[in-house]
Parts: sequence; C-alpha cells; structure tokens
Amino acid sequence: MNRRTRIFLFVAAGILVAGLGTGLVASYVGLQNLPVIGGNGLAEFAYVPEDAGLVAYANVHDVMASELRRRLEAIHPQGGDGARSFQEHTGIDVEKDIDYVVAAVVKAPETEGPPLVLARGRFDQARLEELAKQESATSEDYQGARVVTRGDFALAFVEPGLVAVGAPAVVRKAIETKSAGGRNVGDNTELMRLVRNVDDGTVWAVARFDALTSDRLPQDVRSKLPKISWFSAKGVIGAGVDGQLQVEAVDDTSAQDLRQVIQGFLALARLQVGNQAGLTELINSLQLGGEGKTVSLSFSLPPEILDALGAIRAQRPRLPQLPPETPLPQVAPDAPRAPAPPAL
Amino acid sequence: MNEAAQNRVHDQMNSRVAAAPASFVNGVWRVFDLSLGEMLWSRRTIFMALVVGAPVIIALVMRIVQAFGIPALRVNGVAVDPVGMFGVLIWVPFLRFIVPVLGVFYGTSLIADEVEDKTITYLFTRPLRRSAILVGKYVAYLACTTLVVLPSIMLVYFLIVPLTQVASSFRSLLIDLGLLAIGLAAYGALFAFVGVFVKRPLVASLVFAFGWEQAALLIPGYLRRFTIMYYLQGLVPHTRFSGGVVSLLEAMIPDPPSVMLSIAALTFAVVLFLALAGRIIETREYVLDQ
Repeated sequence: MNRRTRIFLFVAAGILVAGLGTGLVASYVGLQNLPVIGGNGLAEFAYVPEDAGLVAYANVHDVMASELRRRLEAIHPQGGDGARSFQEHTGIDVEKDIDYVVAAVVKAPETEGPPLVLARGRFDQARLEELAKQESATSEDYQGARVVTRGDFALAFVEPGLVAVGAPAVVRKAIETKSAGGRNVGDNTELMRLVRNVDDGTVWAVARFDALTSDRLPQDVRSKLPKISWFSAKGVIGAGVDGQLQVEAVDDTSAQDLRQVIQGFLALARLQVGNQAGLTELINSLQLGGEGKTVSLSFSLPPEILDALGAIRAQRPRLPQLPPETPLPQVAPDAPRAPAPPAL
Repeated sequence: MNEAAQNRVHDQMNSRVAAAPASFVNGVWRVFDLSLGEMLWSRRTIFMALVVGAPVIIALVMRIVQAFGIPALRVNGVAVDPVGMFGVLIWVPFLRFIVPVLGVFYGTSLIADEVEDKTITYLFTRPLRRSAILVGKYVAYLACTTLVVLPSIMLVYFLIVPLTQVASSFRSLLIDLGLLAIGLAAYGALFAFVGVFVKRPLVASLVFAFGWEQAALLIPGYLRRFTIMYYLQGLVPHTRFSGGVVSLLEAMIPDPPSVMLSIAALTFAVVLFLALAGRIIETREYVLDQ
C-alpha cells in the first residue's frame, strides 16, 4: 500500500469517523449542549423556569409582514378592528411594535389565570402604566421590575423592550428565575432537544404531553389517550403555510399504533372530501412520517390551496341577515299600575 | 496490458508473496494489499468519483436553494422535509443506480481484468490458493467502494439535514450506511461470480442489473424474490418517507420482505456467489490467447 493510498484511506475514514462522531454526540449528548453550535435558545428563556411544561414562540413581525396575512385579509377584510381598538387603548401597533412573543406554561402557586407571555418589541411604558391606573390596577416594584397587577392579570416591564404578562404569581416567578440567574428552561435538555428541531419555524411550540392534558381532562379520558410523552409543532409562514406536528410516544409500539390511527383518519378524510378542489389538495398535503417513537404529521398549504379554500368559503350561501329585533316595551316591575276601570 | 505492466505485477507479487505457501487468510491479505492501490488509482475510480460526486453536488444545490427559503423538493406539490429528501437521495441514486453499477464495473473486473491483461498466470504461479486471490480482490473491492460511497453519503447527509435534526435522524443514517455496505457486498459477490463464470461478464451483468432486476421488480408474483434489489429495498426504513414518497415506494415494492429475511437472503447471496466463484476459479484451466 503506497503513501497515496494510505492518505486516501485516512481521509475517507476521517470523514466517516467525523460524521459518525457528530451524529453520536447529537444523539446522546445533544448538539445544543455544545456552545460552539448553539447556546441555550432565546434570551427570553432566562425568564422561563426549568420545569415549564410548554414553551411556544411566534415571530409576530414575520407573521404580520407575510403574504399569507395579506391574502387572509383580502378574504376576511373586517379582521383588523380588534387590533385598531387595541392600538387606540395601549398605543401598541401589533404590526410594527411587537417583534416576537414567547409563551410558557409555568408551575407556580395560585397559577389560575393566563400563562406567561414575554413580548419583545417597542412599548410606551408610561402610557401603559397610565392606562393601568385608569383601570384601577396596582403598581409595585418587584426585584427591579415594575409590575402592574389587576385581578388575576399582571404586566411587568422586565427589560427595556421586553414585557412579561400573565397570572401575577407566574410573572413574579419569571422575574425570580431571571434574578436568581440559575437554571432556566434552556437547561431542560429534553425540552431543548425538541425546541432545536422546531426553532426554525415562524411559529412553534413544544410541550410535555401531560402538561397539556393533566389538568384539563378527566382521568377516564386521559387513560384512553395514546401514550405520548412530548408534543411539538412548527409552522413556517410565508405565501402559504408549511407545518409539522410531531409527538414522541413512550415506546415504539405506542407510536406505531398512533400512526395507524392517524392513517385511518387520513383515509376517512380523503373519502369525505371527495373531489372537492382545495380540500383534496389539503388532505393530500398531509404527510404521515416519523420512525421509532416519533410520529409526525406535516402539511403544506401553498397559496393556490388557500385561494381555493377562500373560493369555497365565498361560494357558501350566507344566512340571511335578520333585522334587529324590536325591543318589547319594558314594564318596570314596581311601577304603579294603572287604576282598573270602574266595575259596572 | 503491455509488457511493462505485466512485469510490474510480477515484481509486486514477488516483493509481497513469500516463497513459502501462505495460509488462506494471509493470502487474502497479501492480494488485498496489492489490489487496493491498483483499484483506487485505476480509471474506474474516475468514473466512480463522478457517479458518487453527483449526489453530493445535488445536495449542495439543494442546500443553497433551501438557504433562500425555497423548498428544494416537492412531491405532489408538498415540500419534502430534509430527512425525507435525504431518504430519496439514498433510495433513488445510491440504491437504485450507484450500488448496482459499482458492483457491475468492479465485481466483473476482479478476475476478468487479470484474464484480459494476461496477468492471471502470474497470480496463479504464486504460492496462494486461487480462491484466496478472488477473496482478496473482493475484499479490496469492498474497501475501495465503501470508502468512497460511505463518506459521500456522510457529506450528502450533513449538507441536506440541518444540525438540529441530526439527533432524530441519525438512526436512519446508520441504517442507510449499513444497507448500502450490504448492497455493495451482495452485488460485488454476484458480479464477481459472473466475472468468473461468463466470458463477456460486463454485458451480462449490465443486462442483469438494469434489465432483469428492474423488470422482475415490476412483474407481479414471486419473480422479484430472485433479485438483490428486492431484499435491499426491504431494509429501507419506510417510516422515514411520507406522503407522495411513500406511495411511490409502495408502488415499487408492494410486499417488502422483513428486515431479518432481507439480511439473511443477502448474506446467503454473498456466501453463495463467493463460494461458487471460488470453486470455479479453483478448478478452471485458464488458457490465455497469445
């Protein structure tokens, strides 16, 4: 074996070993744990406790600027009233002032109320505080952050350009997590492994399945659910939507069962839609995949399908608009009755 | 082969093979050592580099296209995810074309080239068992092809699959590397046998690989069981594919064999064809045209 052959063997074996080594590290250690490849995710994760059951993200700016939104607005033109009203009250233009939001379901004492939502953008703190005062909310400083509370809702200005909203206990716990500077959701290896799989989406969510179902479903319903440990979803929004839903079952058998169930539903859906344009493409775009314990269902809604769905919606006969009911004359309960006519 | 080449082979064998009879394994190693360099730096390797380099270039183009946010591959109008794209690249160019074609070109030439170049006599005059020469050359073929094909698959994988999806798809990569190595071994053994048995092995092998194998897979019934590809496709992890790709795969392999049956059949094929080729080469008298 001459020198040239030995060099070739060395290079070829080197590529193989490097590739296999990278794959092994990714599988057993997780690439997210290598600082050279990626840190611990978004900066906002510093506010999310390590035991969060659900983490979600939405790039509001990209969604608002997307071709898809323009198309949806064309189909449903009255959709912007709520946003305009919100802007009038708060001074926040959702289209321009919010870059992205991170939401998390956090365990905290007295967690009845909304989950934690961290919004990154440009906010007029003085105006929002003034508005809160008008709504008879209370303000306080909590570990260096201004927290405005009203009932079971709190808003905290945790950083310039970052607000946290949610249940008061949850918002306080978020501030504590950041102040402590200790472990946060970025240190949750299992959850972050799934986050890395979806964080290239415009919107995404990762959740422990029991966090989604434990408090919301009765025990007998929960016992009949497939044995799923993790759930993740991702959507890439542009002119259309490309999305993927993925679950990790507790074992290969559960995953196989779930695949068969979904396959059955897909077949049923194909039968139901027949040859209806738009819906057929939508059903055909559903792709069932995954291997081992993973089951994934991806879909793609290109602009043409959205247009077809819009056309179907436009063709539906609308219910005739009923004229507003004429209110019946109200009779005050304690009003003095008119004197009865004299008896003849 | 000209006289200089014949002398070179003779000298190399002289320098490597001791006068004393070598054991079978020792003989295999000596022939492997001699043949590997010859195979790697032959004109066939240029062909192999071109064939194997094409998917790497395709993967590079896909990567660039994806970087611009455009789906690189759509089936039935649906964007295929990176792991699915990698699966398609493994299945179509590598499994259906590259592995059989490398088996044909290298496998048939293991002994046929020595006969054609009239250097077989020099090999047979060495104190080695003839079957050790065949097996040594076969092992050199396996090393040569796997060390070119498998690294190229690794490059294709890391070009297409994002680092964030490596953990979830690494098992598929290992299966792919394994099944392609088994495919190279099975086709190599089959065409080594053809190279020993048939006078014009290249034509016969091409007809088998791209005629019989393709046709038998399409014919309903049991005929597909007499192809290598049927058992190789039984090893492809089907769950990786989805949507249109799955229907394509199911159309090609309506009743795929089980993984265990596939591995057993392919192992049996390797042993059988190598044993048959070894038996023929041990007993045949090679009369070279002058």
